[in-house]
Amino acid sequence: MNRESLLIATLVELADNLVDDYDVIDVLTVLTHRCVEAIDVDAAGVMLASPNGELQFVASSSESMTVLELFQIQTNEGPCVDCYKDGLAITNHALSEADGRWPLFTPRALALGFRAVHSLPMRLRGRTIGALNLFRTHQGTLTDDDVTVAQGLADVATIAILQHRSSLDASTLNAQLNNALNSRVIIEQAKGMICQSTGCDMDDAFNRLRAHARNHNEGLTGLATRLVNKSITAVELDEWVGVVAK
Amino acid sequence: MNVQRLLDIYAIMERHRREGAEGYALCAVAAEFTVFDGAGIALIDNDELTSLCTSDHASGALMDLELALGEGPMVDASRGDASEDTDLRQTTSPEWSIYRSEAVALGARAVFAYPIRLGAIRFGALSFYRISAGPLDAQESSDAYLMASVIGRAILAEQSGGTLVGFADELHGESALDFRVHQAAGMLAIQGALSVKDALVLLRAHAFGVGLSLADLAERMVTCTTRFDSNTGEWIDNMAEEHDER
Repeated sequence: MNRESLLIATLVELADNLVDDYDVIDVLTVLTHRCVEAIDVDAAGVMLASPNGELQFVASSSESMTVLELFQIQTNEGPCVDCYKDGLAITNHALSEADGRWPLFTPRALALGFRAVHSLPMRLRGRTIGALNLFRTHQGTLTDDDVTVAQGLADVATIAILQHRSSLDASTLNAQLNNALNSRVIIEQAKGMICQSTGCDMDDAFNRLRAHARNHNEGLTGLATRLVNKSITAVELDEWVGVVAK
Repeated sequence: MNVQRLLDIYAIMERHRREGAEGYALCAVAAEFTVFDGAGIALIDNDELTSLCTSDHASGALMDLELALGEGPMVDASRGDASEDTDLRQTTSPEWSIYRSEAVALGARAVFAYPIRLGAIRFGALSFYRISAGPLDAQESSDAYLMASVIGRAILAEQSGGTLVGFADELHGESALDFRVHQAAGMLAIQGALSVKDALVLLRAHAFGVGLSLADLAERMVTCTTRFDSNTGEWIDNMAEEHDER
């Protein structure tokens, strides 16, 4: 599929997802996967600010511990923190040993094989609520078109977080952010339980959770909550066979 | 992140402690830190909401009212998301209609309540009232969420036998939302056949006992370096020097 077709398919898919009772983490996960496909990047993730302004990871194209670690570091420093603070995109930032800008983030990103990083602000009526983070394993520049596409996907992510709320007062927006962040915590708690019960890694645990949620038309967060509350056990979840069903 | 507001909470806690207040005097701290006229905290104990503390006479009366009626913003927040009524005298919704008229009689004009939760773990809710009607601005709303988050961590710290000093260090230091901690709590819930909440309490207590940060212990759990044996109630650590230390 060329990029234009892929983008149109993505918009249709997201429009289809953004119906009444969608799961925000699931939609954002779809979005990060589409980022990787539509732009020449190797990993993508969404970080959101808590009502107190602390950045926290909510969705990623990879749930591997190593990629999540790169988001965890950015609770303190990194391209997302700078992008969030300034409300400005950081594009084509080449990572190098000599780069002292992010002393915690850069060495870990390099060790994982990443060579370039981008971060696009998620903005809503003058307030920045988070950032879309893109990683590449090779240097080279994103074109202006790439950046436009990435910013467009970041804007869609922003809309997804608002969950149809028409009024956007401070209380409503903070409630939506708090819910999205708390959903991610529920999913991490459930991943730990799945991992321990079935002996899989965290990446597989997430895929299994997501596959079961989709197979049974259940929200990812709702299913994770049932696991934590022990109304369903990890071994009862459908096996993940390598492809997450639509 | 907005570290200053966290430090403000800590300074208020510290002063209350010096002045000889019982425990963390959490409700008094919450009322002083925020713009509200009074605060109350209710905790879930065996599926039932019970009052932990209230900051003034009216908050106490509002708490008693809500617990007696089983309806109101705090009851809603303890089960679901944040809940508010910014003008009790103008709202005509049938929801909490008895609560609403009684609350007005007690002098409240607006009420706000926030869940105290960590992922799928629900501790209870933090509620506030104001003697004047009107919505919150962004800073006021953010402060309320921050306070609810700090109270959740304080309750957890207290249940795992921590000290105020240890808790203050944590407020200064690590992130409230380290994904490894939540994964480790999920793993420990399965290893120890515990609720995820009890697992988190045990995890914190053990980290404190062996002098590790919560994040470091969680890292050992998720890399399978440390695990808990529910048959013997012992922690098993694959790192030899850990045994030597004991």
